Amino acid sequence: MEEDEFFGEKTFQHFCAEFIKHSQQINDGWEWRTSKDCSEGYMCKTQFQIKPGTLVSHPGTSAHVQTCLPVEEALELPPDDFEVTETTAGSQVVKYEYHVLYSCSYQVPVLYFRASFLDGRPLALKDIWEGIHECYKSRLLQEPWDTITQQEHPVLGQPFFVLHPCKTNEFMTPVLENSRKINRSVNYITSWLSVVGPVVGLNLPLSYARTASQDE
Amino acid sequence: MAEESESALQLPPSTAAEGEGPTEVSPETGTPEPPSSAAVSPGTEEPAGDTKKKIDVLLKAVGDTPIMKTKKWAVERTRTIQGLIDFIKKFLKLVASEQLFIYVNQSFAPSPDQEVGTLYECFGSDGKLVLHYCKSQAWG
Repeated sequence: MEEDEFFGEKTFQHFCAEFIKHSQQINDGWEWRTSKDCSEGYMCKTQFQIKPGTLVSHPGTSAHVQTCLPVEEALELPPDDFEVTETTAGSQVVKYEYHVLYSCSYQVPVLYFRASFLDGRPLALKDIWEGIHECYKSRLLQEPWDTITQQEHPVLGQPFFVLHPCKTNEFMTPVLENSRKINRSVNYITSWLSVVGPVVGLNLPLSYARTASQDE
Repeated sequence: MAEESESALQLPPSTAAEGEGPTEVSPETGTPEPPSSAAVSPGTEEPAGDTKKKIDVLLKAVGDTPIMKTKKWAVERTRTIQGLIDFIKKFLKLVASEQLFIYVNQSFAPSPDQEVGTLYECFGSDGKLVLHYCKSQAWG
């Protein structure tokens, strides 16, 4: 499939369909939803995460604990020591919802997300903040309201947090141009989501990378 | 595409890479991965089996991103994408407002916590892992 300069809604839907195909193969949980009254559609996924109540590590991240250790000791410590050691101290299950919609005004996909506790209480942005990867925090701290805003979901009409799409073209263009040069088609949605997802706690399994680009 | 056949340089340990250049808000242990002991002494290869063996990574620039003079690096398996990003940013002397992305298959950005060893297992070929990097002002 040729890369379009113009990323229209049809192209958006096509890439979402391809993305969901792979999601189904690996049980990654993405679904397509359409609005009842118009032809708009979007992708969505719900995932559950454990939000630690106290200073304990998530499985797989040892950042919090490591900040307390002198450098020499940190080198010797095997990572397994920093798996979740305490699950009882106020840790809670948080439900995250991620929605991928098409923005007509920016002509790019947009990531909407929200989080709530199991009893339905929504998380405030500052709580969601903790789920954001350390490497993005310093940047987002500088101008959080420029990059994450709260908006009404175009289809559901409920408040969601949105990762602002105005810079999407900046990081997508080099990837697309590069793929054109080497005659490979790129799934825009897969590429895009792999970049923006981790910013808000959404990590795509590596197997998507194989479907992200195909030789033509 | 002509490849440089220089010997792979050792990637400096992530802890040593901090402390200079643009100050980030996060403390020096901002990189979440625990550095393996093999990373501490560049130049001394530990013959302790495959788990300590480093990965040959070939870094290629995308778009207008500056090309690194040294493209081939020996990276310990446990180095994360984020660690690699931090290293390249300092190597290229990028300013704080510039963001750097790394891609496998020239199109997919692995999560920051993803380890080079895992990526090599999935996407490595000919004994090396090719990663493309691209700078942008995405969230500047």
